Amino acid sequence: MVAAIFKLTDALDEHSALAISFNHMVEQVMTLNAVFGSLSDPTRRDILRRVSKQNLRVGEIAKHYPLTLAAVAKHIDVLHRAKLIRKSRHGKEQIVSIAPDTLVAASQFLETYQQLWQDRLDSLDTYLQTIKRKE
Amino acid sequence: MEPIKQITLEKTYDASVETVWQAWTDPEMLKQWWGPKNVSIPECEIDPTVGGKFYIVMEAGEAMGDYKGTLWPMQATFTAVEPNAKLSYTAQAWTEGAKEETTIDQTTDITFTEVDGKTTVKVTAAIYKAGPQAGMAAEGMKYGFTEQLDKLESYLATNK
Repeated sequence: MVAAIFKLTDALDEHSALAISFNHMVEQVMTLNAVFGSLSDPTRRDILRRVSKQNLRVGEIAKHYPLTLAAVAKHIDVLHRAKLIRKSRHGKEQIVSIAPDTLVAASQFLETYQQLWQDRLDSLDTYLQTIKRKE
Repeated sequence: MEPIKQITLEKTYDASVETVWQAWTDPEMLKQWWGPKNVSIPECEIDPTVGGKFYIVMEAGEAMGDYKGTLWPMQATFTAVEPNAKLSYTAQAWTEGAKEETTIDQTTDITFTEVDGKTTVKVTAAIYKAGPQAGMAAEGMKYGFTEQLDKLESYLATNK
């Protein structure tokens, strides 16, 4: 799963569509804007990579960046609102973990959108062949 | 404003640029190919001039099971029109009855280039905003388009 997430985030970096198998039962109720908005920031993509490897405390994440703890917490909130990560509390510690379904659903949307145009262009080809035969 | 996603596709057709341009700008011709086989086009209005409107509705047919009767309208405004060369529009596409949740804001640029009697169409589509349920709408369309691909395959096999 972690390898798959890396492929997903790398591919999103390159703005390419993905051919992935996906779970049809994936919950689709998500804000695509929030997902793509969150992923447009390199720090947030980096945070997502870190938590895709292992669950981390907010403090453990923050030490990797030249930012205040509050600033890192804001980035984490943005990822959380987009449902890309989950937050849980263990005593005083807040633990951040990845929520992979959202990334899967987002890449599924992009793949579908691209396929829609590909199929439309193929359909035009069939149509042009049909009118050519009539001429 | 930066798009959240941009895709570029291109395909070359064994037809003159005039024919391909007509297929993209004549409402009766658009109805023949814009949607997949099990989707009909009940409405299509197009005014290919700068500032002109392009309104096209796809309706899911019998073969789409639970999606049957679902309407997917697209309302667009042309931003560039160069006959036999280029079409650009900004558009909103949505699932009827759930416009707020499913709307996709997009821009589309289509260029037409003829070389030796064959015409290459290049489509660049950029998404600027996608509603929270846009994924579901796209999933419905995907079902339709997959069916279309299967039909295209069998069509090509029987017309060799």
